[in-house]
Amino acid sequence: MALEVETRQAENGVTVVAPTGRLDVAGAPALKDAISEVVKNSPPRVVIDMEGVSFVDSTGLGSVIAVLKQIRGSEGGELRLAAPNQQVRVVLELTTLDRVFPYYATVEEALTGF
Amino acid sequence: MRTNHRRFEFTATFTDLDEGLDILHGSIQRLREAIGRPQDDRSLIFFETALGEIGSNVLTHGRPAGTERPVDYTLRFDGVTVEASLSDSGVPVHEHLTREMPAHDSEAGRGLAMARSLLDELGYEREGEVNKWRLVKRL
Repeated sequence: MALEVETRQAENGVTVVAPTGRLDVAGAPALKDAISEVVKNSPPRVVIDMEGVSFVDSTGLGSVIAVLKQIRGSEGGELRLAAPNQQVRVVLELTTLDRVFPYYATVEEALTGF
Repeated sequence: MRTNHRRFEFTATFTDLDEGLDILHGSIQRLREAIGRPQDDRSLIFFETALGEIGSNVLTHGRPAGTERPVDYTLRFDGVTVEASLSDSGVPVHEHLTREMPAHDSEAGRGLAMARSLLDELGYEREGEVNKWRLVKRL
């Protein structure tokens, strides 16, 4: 099941990247490619809408870390995660990466004050 | 495959990454439905996450170029404990088994540490040229 990634612009100029499917060893490259396009715009302020992500593995998580470094490496760049399901939250907590990626319950919450 | 309310068994062989991952996740969904566990059942989420890690390792590193042998997969539930077995033809991986969780900024190297934490038992044996994995969790 390939990961599909849609990108849209919110009213406040933040880019919302919405992957659908499994963010795993097979799907991670699609997310990286989509974020690489976004980072060409400066400053990259990005919300990853995780609502459509059914499952994440360590490679998928690694791709989020890679894009976080890419985005924070750009001046004014910032990344937020929104609407992770329970499996994604389990993985974030197990790896203690919830301290690095504070996540929001909804995309609307993530966009507020961004 | 045979199922009832208390027991479940599923076997498959595969060679391709996408196909293999679809089969692994599909088998957990079948188990979930067969034994009447909800989608957010935490023990099954733990088990599926560990299975995804070991399965992706097996599918990406367990089939070196020229390998004809497919990956063998079995999933069993005896009413109490779920157990998955996977075998592959990759190089021995003993030295990776005790790897600790890496630093936050590391982009790789978490899979086996995650699987160990999520399971009651993660077994690994090298038999001849074959790696044999055993994942066990009480549900």
